[in-house]
Amino acid sequence: MIPLHRLKPDFWDFPDISGSHSGLNLKRKWKMIVLVTATLALSPLVIMTLVDFSLTRRTIETEANTGMLTSLNTIAAVISASLEEKPPVTGAKTLWEKAFPHLDTGMNNDLFLMDNTGRLLTPSVYYGASDSKTSLDAGLFSGAEGIVNIQAPDGTPLLAGYTSITGTALTLVKLQQADRLRDLWLKPRLQLLWFLCASIGFILLSIMGMATFLVSRIHKSERMRIEALHHEEHANRLASIGRLASGVAHEINNPLDIINQKTGLIIDLLTLEKQARPDQRLLPLAEDVLEAVKRCGTITRQLLDFARHMEPCVEPVDMEEVISQVLALLETDARHRDITINVPPVPKIPGFACDRSSLVQIFLNLAENAITAMGKTGTLTIAVTHEKTGFVTIRVSDTGKGIPSEDLPKIFEPFYTTRTDRWGGGLGLAITYGLIREMGGDIRVKSAVDKGTRFILTLPVKAPRPAAPDGTLHLPGSEMTMSAKPVDDDTRRDLYAKS
Amino acid sequence: MGPRILLVDDEQEFVLTLAERLQMRDMDSYAAFDGPTALEQVRSHPPQILIIDLKMPGMDGIQVLKQVKQTHPGIQIIILTGHGSEQDKINCMNLGASAYFQKPVDIDRLIAAIRQGYETVRSDDQKTATFDRYPKTGSWQP
Repeated sequence: MIPLHRLKPDFWDFPDISGSHSGLNLKRKWKMIVLVTATLALSPLVIMTLVDFSLTRRTIETEANTGMLTSLNTIAAVISASLEEKPPVTGAKTLWEKAFPHLDTGMNNDLFLMDNTGRLLTPSVYYGASDSKTSLDAGLFSGAEGIVNIQAPDGTPLLAGYTSITGTALTLVKLQQADRLRDLWLKPRLQLLWFLCASIGFILLSIMGMATFLVSRIHKSERMRIEALHHEEHANRLASIGRLASGVAHEINNPLDIINQKTGLIIDLLTLEKQARPDQRLLPLAEDVLEAVKRCGTITRQLLDFARHMEPCVEPVDMEEVISQVLALLETDARHRDITINVPPVPKIPGFACDRSSLVQIFLNLAENAITAMGKTGTLTIAVTHEKTGFVTIRVSDTGKGIPSEDLPKIFEPFYTTRTDRWGGGLGLAITYGLIREMGGDIRVKSAVDKGTRFILTLPVKAPRPAAPDGTLHLPGSEMTMSAKPVDDDTRRDLYAKS
Repeated sequence: MGPRILLVDDEQEFVLTLAERLQMRDMDSYAAFDGPTALEQVRSHPPQILIIDLKMPGMDGIQVLKQVKQTHPGIQIIILTGHGSEQDKINCMNLGASAYFQKPVDIDRLIAAIRQGYETVRSDDQKTATFDRYPKTGSWQP
């Protein structure tokens, strides 16, 4: 047996949350389509069949009845003509025996004569031998001719055709089973009915199939649209955070350097001009302040890096060389931790061009993250493939502690970090994300807790032309003009369209 | 006596402190708080080294840089800013700045740049003495 849930389309259980992007009740839509199409397609079919059914039945009944009466009338006319000279009752009997000695009577052809009292003159299949008084009510056969429905003594429904013989009190009766007539039209009709049912089934199935196909397509495109929207929202949010970050970083740098210089002056006063009796604690304290200033400086620089949208210098880049350059930087750290670095042969990618420093930064950030995630031991793999024309796919995988699925959506946001040491500013992946988007690429992440994480980068072989050559930035609430301009989405789209 | 240095920055606390620190290192440093005053000072009392902030009210650092390079191409100019981007750096270097620093700056790196600039000025002076002419521009070539 086919498991039913396999046949169930995806959209069937798709939650229709009001206020979601979709606003479509796909299940209801499917039902509507099936109902309307089925009604439109099937109702003419059913109505036509029913009309045809009753018409055929009436035609066949009428024809049969007319045929029976005509034959009765013919026989009656013959009998009537022959009886003109003889006394009707005995004459009729004799005539009957003489004229129809081999009368083939049967269940469906029970022909006999009776008089107006209900007495049989000739034998009947249903009502016994002649001269007997029957249960037949002679009153039923009033009038010149007609057809009536009666019941035989054994309960069989019968159709009785009769005609009175002119000039006598005799009636010629023909009995046949009522069912026989029905058999005539019902059997072929029933076959037709089966055919109808089968076609209705087929039509319903195909309508349901079509509806499922269509609604699935709607469902799929709807889901893609929602995903694209989310992506866009995410990118926009990152971009505005970046703008804010660069504004903050710039504004903080000035007072930060006042602290820097003032503290430097204190140190100068203590060291250059040997003062009489300085407190021994002053110098280390001032140096601590300087150290803190340096850290702040690192953070503001990272923030500016993240928000950096200046014109990157697109040049032909040898991917293998970049990777080995990055690995050279990480080698010592990896060796200390007993981490194996595995780089399968890098395919030659003709015409690959991008901003070299961005690419180095991307590899460095991802590889550093991987090494941090692995801790003491593990394997870092950087695999470059050229799967899709026009795109390079890079997989950076580690065997580290992984990222819990609830944290996955947040990892590209600035200041998201799990590191507790002071250098983990939480900007590495945000910067990486920004750089990749700037190159016109995309990054995805797959992770399993305690198994490892894999970042999958897709970069275009030809990077899009960099934007904003003038590098002007309008920062919120500030008159600053000296900075790089973030690429707004329209510009970006135009650029991609051109490239 | 060391080089004569003019510091230009609208952050008065910053520029005065830095000037004091440089003086403590035997450099003849003095400060200006905006572009026009700085140009005035360059005219009346030309320094050998000029340290400018990029973002200042009124006249910004780039304008000061351009004008000084026109009138006094021999002066070595160091940019020290809290607002710069890589593009700014490239622009300034193309306009003839000899060094570019992002705030907060490490005093030792700044002093190293000052000394280097001073060396350049002195060798220029010697050339001038020898060939009796000024170098046409001090433009920086990447």
